[in-house]
Amino acid sequence: MNARKKKEAAWYALFVLPVVIVFTIIVIIPFVIGVGYSFFSWDGLPVHEKTFVGMDNFVRLFSDSRFMVSAGHTLVFTVIAVVLINLLGLAFAIIVTSRIKVRNILRTMLFMPYLIGGLILGYIWKFILGEGLKAIGEAMGNTGLFFNWLVDKKMALVALIIVAIWQMAGYIMIIYITGIQGIPDDVLEAASIDGANFFQQLIYIKLPLIMQSFTICLFLTLSNCFKIFDTNLSLTGGGPNNATEMFAMNIYNEIFKLNNYGYGQAKAILFLIVVASFTLMQVSITKKKEVQM
Amino acid sequence: MKTKKILLNVVLILLGLAYLFPVYIIVVNAFKNRAELYENILAFPKDASFKYFTKAMDKMDFSHAFMNSMIVTCISLVFIVVLTSMCAWMLARNDGKLSKFIFMMFVATMLIPFQTLMMPLLQVLGFFRDYCGIQLTDTLGGLIFCYIGFGTGMSVFLFHGFIKSVPVEVEEAAIIDGCSKLGVFFKIVFPMLKPVTMTVIILNVIWIWNDYLLPSLILYSKKNRTIPLSTANFFGQYTVQWNLAMAGLTLTIIPVVIFYLCAQKYIIKGIAAGAVK
Amino acid sequence: MKKKLAALVLTMTTIGMAVTGCGNSASTQKDAPVAAAEGESSESESAEKEEGGAETADKIIIFQSKAEIQDQLEDCAEAFTDETGIEVEIWGTTGDDYQQQLETKLANDQGPTIFTQQSGDILERLKDYCADLSDVECMKDIPEGLTADITKDGKTMGIPYTMEGFGIVYNKSLCDATTLKSTDDFINLIKEQKEAGNEGFELTQEDYFLIGHILNTPFALMDDPDAFIADLAEGKSKMADQDVFKEFANMMVDIRENCSNPLEQNYDGQIGDLATGKAAMIHQGNWCAGMFADYEFEDAGMAPLPLAGNDKLAVSVPYYWAINASADAAEQEAGKKFLTWLYTSETGKSYLYDQFGFVPVIKGDVNENLDVLSQDMQSYVEAGKTIGWNMAKWPANSINVYFAPLAQEFFTSDMSADDFLAGLDQAYADAIANQGN
Repeated sequence: MNARKKKEAAWYALFVLPVVIVFTIIVIIPFVIGVGYSFFSWDGLPVHEKTFVGMDNFVRLFSDSRFMVSAGHTLVFTVIAVVLINLLGLAFAIIVTSRIKVRNILRTMLFMPYLIGGLILGYIWKFILGEGLKAIGEAMGNTGLFFNWLVDKKMALVALIIVAIWQMAGYIMIIYITGIQGIPDDVLEAASIDGANFFQQLIYIKLPLIMQSFTICLFLTLSNCFKIFDTNLSLTGGGPNNATEMFAMNIYNEIFKLNNYGYGQAKAILFLIVVASFTLMQVSITKKKEVQM
Repeated sequence: MKTKKILLNVVLILLGLAYLFPVYIIVVNAFKNRAELYENILAFPKDASFKYFTKAMDKMDFSHAFMNSMIVTCISLVFIVVLTSMCAWMLARNDGKLSKFIFMMFVATMLIPFQTLMMPLLQVLGFFRDYCGIQLTDTLGGLIFCYIGFGTGMSVFLFHGFIKSVPVEVEEAAIIDGCSKLGVFFKIVFPMLKPVTMTVIILNVIWIWNDYLLPSLILYSKKNRTIPLSTANFFGQYTVQWNLAMAGLTLTIIPVVIFYLCAQKYIIKGIAAGAVK
Repeated sequence: MKKKLAALVLTMTTIGMAVTGCGNSASTQKDAPVAAAEGESSESESAEKEEGGAETADKIIIFQSKAEIQDQLEDCAEAFTDETGIEVEIWGTTGDDYQQQLETKLANDQGPTIFTQQSGDILERLKDYCADLSDVECMKDIPEGLTADITKDGKTMGIPYTMEGFGIVYNKSLCDATTLKSTDDFINLIKEQKEAGNEGFELTQEDYFLIGHILNTPFALMDDPDAFIADLAEGKSKMADQDVFKEFANMMVDIRENCSNPLEQNYDGQIGDLATGKAAMIHQGNWCAGMFADYEFEDAGMAPLPLAGNDKLAVSVPYYWAINASADAAEQEAGKKFLTWLYTSETGKSYLYDQFGFVPVIKGDVNENLDVLSQDMQSYVEAGKTIGWNMAKWPANSINVYFAPLAQEFFTSDMSADDFLAGLDQAYADAIANQGN
């Protein structure tokens, strides 16, 4: 018995340890060091002194109105973007897994935005939602809705949401596709023999069976939206008047622009605690609804 | 009925094209100079010569950067796929407290903004250099090592989710037949993971191929530059050399698009194989 | 579960603090070699003077922020290697994240040999990483005024790249901005152009082009800008109490009323407007001449922003070459050799002037290949009609983080001149308060 247990443990270690070791070195240790810095006042350069300030950085957070405002924007942005990305991604996935002729080319097209990474997307969209909309507005004589969204506080946030959706919906679609195709064909066949129509199949069979995809997709979109940075930087730069400055950008500014390394780390940790509690809650709720096969 | 179907297909394709409108802007502006771009960003280029592409390729030292990107992407990928699938399977099948803890650790750390890890990460890599004599900065190996670490969270998460929906009975039967765990995993489980493996591969390839921040932190010398690093010169502080940047971007994404088209076939095949079984 | 989580958090925190503490002591250890290296370098220098032979490394690394000269610099480095045998590696850069990349690399003891340095708060921050270059040969030929900002505690820590100046850049076929003698003249010209269907004057959405540069003018026009900045920092003075700032704020309101919204314009579009005759004047510097070529446009000139009768261009040295004080002595020596070569040898100078298009900072040198705007600027420099740049003396990143959001609000609302000034004072105070935490 004991020998068997040992053997089991050895197998466990063989499968799990390699990843855990690399992961610890690359992610956990740097993170722990970062946690440590959050108790110091430091500008990030080793030649300069670190002063231990205890919980001061964390206390200061709560009176940092700019940080709190940015937290509010991030929350609004994340909630709206997560819902829309998942709805759209799921809709895309359902369309391209149906029997429609153009499904293959359509799938590639919808996934394309995710292939273009980085800052340049922000620059392109800046043109479309800025000058582009303004030109449309002037041409149609409707400047109430069609104007440069990026100079308006509310619409700049909308613009950011649109670009995030555009970029991530295709990515989320891929994961939903994996889920939908994991559904055994015989189940669907049985359903259609029983006379279930497209929507009945969708609601009673497909959706419950892809609960695990929901868990994954909700989590990925949540974490990606909370962490949004590149698009934020290149599309709005946080403006106008900080109306679209998200969490990650606020932290980045604190660390690299204002050189308050310790304080920036404290922000990051608070951010992590908040987001982790949100998402872990979400994961445990949706996990419970998953159907084991 | 039939016309309705054709109409539906046409509408869908048109919507797809509209969805790709920003890509159009990228491609046409790779052919224009500043004056032309200013005049009309949407217009078709007057001169369809590929001179900005060749110039961009030349400035990027494209073939060299391409090789570096290939090496980093491929090797990272092999490690990520093999190691994380093994790990995820073990974690999913041994649902004890330790497994739960490790899994949650992977998941929770996906939420850390990378910007806050940058400085400490370099410290850790510096520690390896100073005290262990292992050069992880400015080497492709070091970059690969980092990608394995940062790729773990999402890949384990994806595999874990999928493995739960794979029936356990086959594995149990194989173990009774005297197969070792390693054998069971590679002979039986891994082939069944094909659809999710493809997803993991696609998402990781795109991420690693396009990533700028991590290589910019770890690699310095010219000989190690990956493709995103080699296009960085086109971006000034206030303006961008648009034609070169767009051409560079197009050159960057063409390989991924080709890869995606190939990979897509395998997804479909994988599913077909699964259906036959 | 909750208890465990709390325990976990606690352990992590303790470990983190312990590790950070270790990092602290390790970093003091790291400082030691820096100091030792400095000591060594002075020792080896004295040794050199006796033996007459310098010990130089056979490879140096350059990391610099001016993306425009990157290609030419690579050719230049090759020429240097051909002549001296010292290998030069040039790291790629983007203009945007240069500072952040430089600092992470320096902080982790993996810095380059030569890097771009700026004066002001960035110098204050990185001065421990900048070697003293007073003894570099070409330094004696550079007027002291050009190195004053980069000199601290008797050490000159950088060699100027070039001179840059900003003010009004105008299209000569539409107007002549050199005739403007007052703010009123300026606003009237804007109105005239507006009536003629042109854009009179354009600012753009980029932080420096929106508020940073133009706000420099009232600062520079104070009797003693440095004293005023010191008073501002201590809260003894307010911009709102100064006449020149009041005139500035009113001018900004007039600009807002008579020009299109700068937040809807970017640098690229602005240059396009000027070059194609849509805009008469823009607020820019000589650096933008590089973008005229694609438009085949040369009919441009530079003039002072005539706020409160100002007749001077804002000219300064924004970038300097610095040598990494934490690098080996031999490497530093090789770096100095490169800079000396660049500023004194014939080949070096040909790159500096013909290829990089730099305005000479060496006494007696003339660059005949300057672009149209730099020519204008050079004549202002020769006539002594220049004012300084104060942006670097403002609190760290005050422009990006504090002034720009305010300016964005100003240009998208009907904020009054008084409120704008009060806002600037507040932003300045916030920036001061956030410094050094």
